Amino acid sequence: MKSKLITAAEAVSRIPDGATLAVGGSLLRRQPMVFVRELVRQNRRDLALLTWATTLATDMLAAACAVRRWDGIYAGFFRLGLAPNFRRAVQDGTIETHDYSESAMVARFRARAMGLEFLPNRAMLGTGMETKSPDAVKRITCPYTGKPVLALRAADADFTILHGYAADEYGNVQWPIVRDSDDIDQMMASSSRRLFVSVECIVPHEEIARRPALTYIPHTLVEGIVHAPRGAHPTATDGFYDEDEDALEDWLEAARAGRSAEWLDANVRPLADHEAYLAKLGGEAALARFDVTEREYA
Amino acid sequence: MDVAIKVTACTTEELMIAAIAAELKDGELGFVGLGTAARAYTLAVGIPIAAARLAQMTHAPAFSIYWGNLLTPSLDGIPEATLQDTYTRWQAAASPVDVGYKIDMVTAGRFDVSFESAPQVDRYGNLNITEIGEPDAPPKVRLVGCLAQTEHLAFIRRPIIVTDLSPRAFVERVDFVTSLGHARDGETRDTLGLPGPGPELCVTDKAIFDFATPDGAMRLRSVHPGVSVEEVLSLMSFAPVIDSEVPETPRPSAETVAIIRNDIDPHGVLMTGSARERMA
Repeated sequence: MKSKLITAAEAVSRIPDGATLAVGGSLLRRQPMVFVRELVRQNRRDLALLTWATTLATDMLAAACAVRRWDGIYAGFFRLGLAPNFRRAVQDGTIETHDYSESAMVARFRARAMGLEFLPNRAMLGTGMETKSPDAVKRITCPYTGKPVLALRAADADFTILHGYAADEYGNVQWPIVRDSDDIDQMMASSSRRLFVSVECIVPHEEIARRPALTYIPHTLVEGIVHAPRGAHPTATDGFYDEDEDALEDWLEAARAGRSAEWLDANVRPLADHEAYLAKLGGEAALARFDVTEREYA
Repeated sequence: MDVAIKVTACTTEELMIAAIAAELKDGELGFVGLGTAARAYTLAVGIPIAAARLAQMTHAPAFSIYWGNLLTPSLDGIPEATLQDTYTRWQAAASPVDVGYKIDMVTAGRFDVSFESAPQVDRYGNLNITEIGEPDAPPKVRLVGCLAQTEHLAFIRRPIIVTDLSPRAFVERVDFVTSLGHARDGETRDTLGLPGPGPELCVTDKAIFDFATPDGAMRLRSVHPGVSVEEVLSLMSFAPVIDSEVPETPRPSAETVAIIRNDIDPHGVLMTGSARERMA
């Protein structure tokens, strides 16, 4: 094993305009914001996103005019409402959407992880999704029952960005024992071609080796590990910190008013890196109040 | 006192909770979604969870739910739906390694009942949570996507739609089919070979509907106390099938109302999006 520690800026510099990008997390949890803010800083364009239930990551990239296509199960802001920038861009035709239900998106990622071109699925038969994406959803006949099934094309991401919990420098990423599992980050990792993971903490390899069953992303899948404490801010990382509701509302207020471009110019683009971002928020003194009470990692 | 005039005062939500709880059977597994904000949270999460708990406390002690990725979460003390860590530490029987396992359970037919809400519902129980507008053009209004609602209607034995009645929501034909009801454009569940029978009930704030008609069209099953058939029709953009006699939705007993208020949701957490209006 060799060290795979890199900076977010290095990781993002390897992602070209036009790339297809799988983006991890679910709802207000573990949105890979360190990479997203870096994509904004480096002015990436024409990305095609593959997501599970996405919130701020997709809305911020939409605000930065970085997205041409989105495939996923949900884009909104959970209990805080809809995703204003994403919504506007879809409604004015700038972002093309390809909707999938949960089992369909799972099938697409599993197909790629298994090295298949497609997997069959019945959930979307007769729905609007079946006809909306003819390049990736084709009705075929089951060779055993003679009934219709949908062949769903494998989700083939050029790059995958995830925010995780703890890792060693080699890229073995572990989850805590008490965590949320309402996402498909592991599946996205298994189906990735080039995977970058930001994590809350870097721990010695001996810590990882003690409990290898907690390693949900093995080093062999990882191209780069980025040390980014509070890297999902303002969304939550379960087991570490809660979401920052005021910051999310601040984003949404600007977004609803059509001022997100200015917001990014003021709060993302001028900052050198994640460290500068945290410092602008007031550093640990201001952010420690979001910490959860029972943490497995110091 | 004459029994006929001894009427229990209850909110519309309490009536809906009791009506849904009556449909839940011992030993069954139900799927409760995540819900979103305000009223949508009450409809998609609050009312179903309260109904599940009521069923557990009365006739169906072994009724289980799957919520988020938590199987059989403790409903003794329902956490306040605020920050993430509350969900992370909500005690439950199981939380499988990822959400793919849960959706496998749905497509393999292991769920009995589910609860759905949607901004558009049509005559055949098709649901739309994806987009409003004409096909082959950018949508007029982009909604949230699909989540697992598509699977619920395709595979679960008795999906129950829980939505407020309004002409904007109850449309002749949904703009986009996120989740297939009983028929669309000549295709039926039979011709598609979908395993589940399709939506069973539609519980609203004014009336309850089912789909017990030869072609699976929506039928008015009962109207809530104090609501007329005319009022129901005025809140729909299509006319459901109406039998000559339309019964009244049964009122919950005083005991049931007391359980909901005192034991299930004493702090009103589940009903954050409720008007708390009391029925006569």
